Amino acid sequence: MCGICGCDDHQDDMHEHVHEDGTRHRHAHPHEHHHHTHVELERRVLAKNDALAQENARWLAERGILAVNLMGSPGCGKTSLLERTIRSQGARALCVIEGDQATANDAERIRAAGAPVVQVNTGTGCHLDATMVARGLEELAPRGGSVVVVENVGNLVCPALFRLGEQRRVVVLSVAEGDDKPVKYPHMFRAAHLVLINKTDLLPHLDFRLDHAVAGVRSVNPEAQVLQVSARTGEGMDGWYGWLAAELEGLRHRGERSFERPGHPLGLES
Amino acid sequence: MHELGISRNIVAIAGEAAAGRPIRRITLEIGRLSGVMPHALEFCFDLAAEGTPAARAVLEIRETAGDELNIKSIDLED
Repeated sequence: MCGICGCDDHQDDMHEHVHEDGTRHRHAHPHEHHHHTHVELERRVLAKNDALAQENARWLAERGILAVNLMGSPGCGKTSLLERTIRSQGARALCVIEGDQATANDAERIRAAGAPVVQVNTGTGCHLDATMVARGLEELAPRGGSVVVVENVGNLVCPALFRLGEQRRVVVLSVAEGDDKPVKYPHMFRAAHLVLINKTDLLPHLDFRLDHAVAGVRSVNPEAQVLQVSARTGEGMDGWYGWLAAELEGLRHRGERSFERPGHPLGLES
Repeated sequence: MHELGISRNIVAIAGEAAAGRPIRRITLEIGRLSGVMPHALEFCFDLAAEGTPAARAVLEIRETAGDELNIKSIDLED
């Protein structure tokens, strides 16, 4: 069978042709005659999303905004973590883009805690992408020098693949999920700058081995920081607040040469 | 599940390069660390390609060791 056109009919009208790469093909085409053009593309499949993510990153950098992509399983405590952060650190501590397949429930929780929030529903989509975040940023209009947390769709798989323009990625792992998750979902944990092990107040009731979980994170991502928190009781949350403050401070130092420029996060006229 | 979104990207990139001509074959390079499963991608591709110039295209997937996720080439009908 011909490797190019899949034709396996060699009865009559035999002909031979040479492709650009030197491959010779002998064809029989008794039926309608097909010629085929081979086009080299060498394109990254996610190039479009990555380019849009870069636009978002530039938009954020120009305003000195720290953007954190917050990921983790459904129910691992991402929204609870943000609620407590806002209530403890003040309404100006951060603003939020909430990603969920459906409902505005999480946005309502964030709003009730006092912070600006925009809800993005992905419908059937299992992750946020850079276009959704660009629209979310436009609607949210965060002030310069602030922290934007993008709470991704609850999912330990898909969001790891899609860059949004964030400077930092944080993965929340709750102890109720089991201590083997970092090695079972290595893509997600490999992408993380910080891993928050949440719901530590439940540890007395579970067989979760903290050292095992931390070793799992280390095995897939030796650079990631790991902090233990309980968004419910507040235990360990100071470490998370300190991390956020240090990241924002680091951004200010790095961004001294940045400048203010109004415009759309996609670089379009708004 | 993200393979559907990936498939749509593949169909869009290939469709743009094909400029309206029917696509016969799309050759992909998918790394084992890319987070994309070839089987799931093949499953989703037909859905994403329906009604596009890639509707009758065959996917040829070359599995690699890294995190590659590339369209190598396409073959078009003249």
